[in-house]
Amino acid sequence: MSLMDTIRKSAPGRAIWRTPKRVTDRDRAAAHWGSFLLHIYPVRMRREQISFKWSWFLGVASMVLYGSLIASGVYLMFFYVPSPATAYGDIVFLQTDVAFGQFIRNIHRWSAHLMVLAVAAHMARMFYRGAYKPPREFNWVVGVVLLVLTLLLSFTGYLLPWDQLAYWAVTVGTSMAEFVPFIGSTVGAMLLGGTEVGAQTLLRFYVLHVAVLPSLLVGVITIHLWRWRKDSMLEIDVEVGSE
Amino acid sequence: MSDSKPAVPGDQRVLGFVEGTPPVGDRKVPSEEDPVMVWPHLLVRHGVVALAVMVLVLGLALFFDAPLREMANPTLTPNPEKAPWYFAALQELLFRFHPLVAGVLVPGAIIIGLVALPFIDRNPETQQRSRRIAVATFTIFMVVWIILTVIGFAFRGPNWGWVWPWQEWYGEL
Repeated sequence: MSLMDTIRKSAPGRAIWRTPKRVTDRDRAAAHWGSFLLHIYPVRMRREQISFKWSWFLGVASMVLYGSLIASGVYLMFFYVPSPATAYGDIVFLQTDVAFGQFIRNIHRWSAHLMVLAVAAHMARMFYRGAYKPPREFNWVVGVVLLVLTLLLSFTGYLLPWDQLAYWAVTVGTSMAEFVPFIGSTVGAMLLGGTEVGAQTLLRFYVLHVAVLPSLLVGVITIHLWRWRKDSMLEIDVEVGSE
Repeated sequence: MSDSKPAVPGDQRVLGFVEGTPPVGDRKVPSEEDPVMVWPHLLVRHGVVALAVMVLVLGLALFFDAPLREMANPTLTPNPEKAPWYFAALQELLFRFHPLVAGVLVPGAIIIGLVALPFIDRNPETQQRSRRIAVATFTIFMVVWIILTVIGFAFRGPNWGWVWPWQEWYGEL
């Protein structure tokens, strides 16, 4: 008997896991259903669905990168004040004086670039597999929302170092908003908090980047994964569709 | 049928053999359609993927520092002025078309097209050879988008003029 089994069979172990036996598939399924961490997964999947060629594991790669971004991002937040007077100096201080500051910033940057790639590649792979077909149409739409949120997260984060690269890249990006008919100038003014990228823009992008967009992304991923689990054993069925 | 004597525990007697294959059990050939338990089969794979992704990220972070230029200066516009790489295709379009087309109509059409895709393509087939039009359309758009991104990212220099990336490098990550 392994150490884990001993722990599971103790009184606290039974209180936490509730199903100490792991003998039959039925026991294992019950333990799976009883676990908070595992409940985002289906209990069983078809053998073909867990192979590399099915998904290229790009969805889980995106999730891992998002986890890496949250962990490194929280560390960066300890050393950063979103104001034009302090932001750039904070980054320089982070890179030169903070323990692992440069390394954690590198992790955040590369995770962000890779997440944009992974989410886009996940979408392409799902297209080629035909995974958007009934009854999974809605989850494809949720995925499009997640792609847009990923791009917005990356773009709002791009401004925060407050260097020339950040400032002018965001200037180029937000100048396009001005061309949207009717609402363009209003949307632009709301994003920038003025007529050009400035102190208000930095604060707004920061709040969007560390609070609003990450919360939205977690919420939408929850729907995405819930749908994925519910539909995991379903066959493509156009006749029945989503009913 | 049996070419070797089956193993029998010492204190037991064999009363008889039944010819043929068992209806269930170890002789069954697993098929792709068979369900398997997610724990451990899928979760072990996800663990390996997570490790591989983190090795890649940590490796990149060890060897390549995130860029940091001079402090932002609203009065000094750099040349070229580059958007983040994932908007490089849009910026390349912006150079070629009116901003209303490149900055509004094209990205709007892409997002609306992606959202509407499952409701436009009602072909039930999932095999790629049975859905040539959908696959060809998506592939053409994707390849064009990748080419525009690479051009905007690596082949554009001052005043958005053409440069060869092996001669002058203006890509920013």
